[in-house]
Amino acid sequence: MRFLSRPERLTRLGVILWALRIALIAFVVAGSYATLSGASGSPVLSPEGWRDLIIFGIAQGSVYALIALGYTLVYGILFMINFAHGEIFMAGAFTGFFVAVALAEEGIMEANPVLGIVILLLSSMITSMIVAVLLERIAYRPLRRAPRLVPLITAIGASLVLQYSFRGIYGSGVRAYPLPDAIRGRVEILGIPILRSQLIVVIAAVLLMFALYYLVERTRTGRSMRAVSEDKEVAALMGINVDRTIATTFAIGGLLAGAAGVLYVFIFNQVSFAMGFLPGIKAFTAAVLGGIGNIVGAMLGGLTLGILESVGPFLLLSGFGVPSTNQLRDVIAFSMLVIVLIFRPYGILGRKES
Amino acid sequence: MNERRRPVDPRLVLKRAAGMGAIAGLVGVYLSLVGIVERFETRNVVTGVVTLGLLTVAIAILVAAFVAPRLPRAWGMAEPSRGLKFAASLLAGAAAAAVLVLFLIAVESLDLRDIFPNASPSLARILSLGMDGPTGWAALAAMCLAIGAIAGALHALRSRDRQPLVAAMAAVLLVSLMEPFLNNVFLQLRQNALAGFVYERSGLTIPAALLVFFVVLAVGAFETYRGEQARERVDSLPEATRRNVKYVTLFFVGVLLLILPHLMGVFLSEVVGTVGLYILMGLGLNIVVGYAGLLDLGYVAFFAVGAYATALLTSPASSLGLGLDFWIALPIVMVIAAITGITIGAPVLRLRGDYLAIVTLGFGEIVRILLLSDALRPIFGGAQGILAIPPPEIGDLRLAGPVNLYYPILAFVILGAFVAWTLANSRIGRAWNAMREDEEVAAATGINTTNYKLLAFAIGAVFGCVAGAFLSVKIGVVFPQRLDILVSITVLSLIILGGMGSIRGVILGAFVLVGLPELLREFAEYRLLIYGGVLVTMMLLRPEGLLPNRSRQRELHEEHDAEETQYQQRAGGDTGAPAISTP
Repeated sequence: MRFLSRPERLTRLGVILWALRIALIAFVVAGSYATLSGASGSPVLSPEGWRDLIIFGIAQGSVYALIALGYTLVYGILFMINFAHGEIFMAGAFTGFFVAVALAEEGIMEANPVLGIVILLLSSMITSMIVAVLLERIAYRPLRRAPRLVPLITAIGASLVLQYSFRGIYGSGVRAYPLPDAIRGRVEILGIPILRSQLIVVIAAVLLMFALYYLVERTRTGRSMRAVSEDKEVAALMGINVDRTIATTFAIGGLLAGAAGVLYVFIFNQVSFAMGFLPGIKAFTAAVLGGIGNIVGAMLGGLTLGILESVGPFLLLSGFGVPSTNQLRDVIAFSMLVIVLIFRPYGILGRKES
Repeated sequence: MNERRRPVDPRLVLKRAAGMGAIAGLVGVYLSLVGIVERFETRNVVTGVVTLGLLTVAIAILVAAFVAPRLPRAWGMAEPSRGLKFAASLLAGAAAAAVLVLFLIAVESLDLRDIFPNASPSLARILSLGMDGPTGWAALAAMCLAIGAIAGALHALRSRDRQPLVAAMAAVLLVSLMEPFLNNVFLQLRQNALAGFVYERSGLTIPAALLVFFVVLAVGAFETYRGEQARERVDSLPEATRRNVKYVTLFFVGVLLLILPHLMGVFLSEVVGTVGLYILMGLGLNIVVGYAGLLDLGYVAFFAVGAYATALLTSPASSLGLGLDFWIALPIVMVIAAITGITIGAPVLRLRGDYLAIVTLGFGEIVRILLLSDALRPIFGGAQGILAIPPPEIGDLRLAGPVNLYYPILAFVILGAFVAWTLANSRIGRAWNAMREDEEVAAATGINTTNYKLLAFAIGAVFGCVAGAFLSVKIGVVFPQRLDILVSITVLSLIILGGMGSIRGVILGAFVLVGLPELLREFAEYRLLIYGGVLVTMMLLRPEGLLPNRSRQRELHEEHDAEETQYQQRAGGDTGAPAISTP
């Protein structure tokens, strides 16, 4: 009852924000109701259709989660948004493409799909890791004491440089990925048919997240990372090599992004130099949604965003008779970004700070 | 502190030089694979002597070989001897040669084009200076070594002799790159003979290059040896004379600006018009980013709002079908702009700097996707956009075509610069300054930070919308494809290049980053790569920009200076004095 007895002074801004909040909730409720009841004669989706949308959402959400972990790790330790993280992801996916072509030509992918996928994952992960570490060394380390916006602008620049270097070096076309037969088709789990590629994506993502959780919580490296994120100077006094720990953090973020690159391609089947931008932004949204700096939060945020993005356009908009809702997929993601940052910048798991 | 330096260790110096040379070689490999070398090869710098493609590689090696013998201060070593410096530069050249020759052999013997489309035989031909096989490898190696030797020789000169020389070389490159502009002007003035003397096949002729080189060298030498005296004499002129000189200069600049489109012809006027739009946007974003310190990555949203609002109001073919006169529509657009600025600004103001940047980026993308979507097609026309936007009219004069449109754009740029300048030096500008430097302190001194932030957003939005309005009448149609985040990035890059908070900087930045790529087709393809490079290098090496705003410069170097004093204190600790004195 406290908020009744001592109301906060309502500012003009506060009023605007509350009005926005109410309008949003009304929009979501009305949209979902209209779609689910099929009121306006809009197309109705079968329960199987909804289920497939949700499974697809989980699969792409776990990729977002892997990328989001990179944002969260770096933010947790340096308090900067590594805007170029999407490009680190792209670098891994692109390398994966060449490796996949080579593997397909040698016939390894057909003969031993597990070995093939492991080689694919490892090569992408290592490439992304190298790009991430170089980026930190060249662009971010000299700026560690600069005002906050300076590293952000550098990161935007680095993102452009990486994108257009890849475009220049490997060409600007969108390339179709040679998917091995092993990951085509469906499998049935508990009576639900699931695309094999999506299943592999989810399993790989979950394994990697467990590995990361173990690394951060249970190992020496993880402990020094946590120490550096608490207080760099004290950590240095305790004998932790701060520079190396930060580089390790970027390396781990890069490894995860590289894996995400391969998994993303399993779902969407193509690579191009510009592929990093949207997943990068979405993963950042996921990271903020889960509370930036929070590892479990990034995973939850990724899944939430993936499902919302997959289900949202149809659920919210088709009830109003909006045509081709799939075009507005990215609007849902960006709106989520804006809404989360405006109303809950500390995320669902984070606590309100200053 | 300099007296207690360690003696030079030649092995360390040479090791560093070899490393830097190898890095320069790798940069050369990168430039080749990205395609810059081959693409820029079509442009002559001095026709028949130097082409731009190979020059980019040469400059990378020259810089590395020149920097190599300059030891970082942290090493605490004495200055290397001249011989050692020369050896280090030469070694850097040799290391670069080794890397590049290996790369050349790889390109010639393996077919890498499946992966690297640019690793083609024509690239190999460029790198081997047009020779075949081992002769080509030797030629490439000789070139690298020669560059190393030049860098070493530059070290032998005194720095005041070196500066005019470097300036003269840079001037030749610059005048050569101005070819599309100057050549066009010469032809417009029917000075065909002059054009033929200066330029030949996109590059300078040899006599013209020599002329530019020696003129700049002479001016530079005069500046070095007699500059101080000359400046004193100018300073001792009476106040009135100096003021008159200033007015006369201003007058001539004004006349030049007025007749410029007739000197330049249609194509160049078009380019300058585009630059003008970017100057307007730059001035607007500069208020938001440079003055108020709010990094807005969705500035294109205002540009788009301005363009679409103008199109909706003036085009008879739009969904509103009003067909208003441009000059009646413009004030309405400006009001819409201010409202949009405040609407977008209000909810995001509480956010910290980096979150604000990302949210505004989100807004920019949302605007673009909505404009492009089928759902809003009845209003905004989807991917086709809105057609048939009439040009503005003054009386009976239709301001159609780039030459005529130049004048209203120029007028608005001057007006915008004036407004920005006035704001910066007003109470509002000082409030923004205070807010940018420390928001809490500013709030404590009674500045209503919310209102001032909203004001910055609103004014910035008006600038962006006016630029958008002119875009729509300039090309006569608006469509959403070109209104993407890259516009925001371009505007941000030109501000960063020129210097945040600096009006002169915005103008310089717009001409370099928007004007040059429009003129040099070779650059256009690598525009965004160059913008990215500009953002990174400026932030790393010169965060205050090329033409900095003074208070801003102080702000960015404050921390640096504080750090330096700290180091000095620590160094003092070595000599026995207390490192940190406690009162």
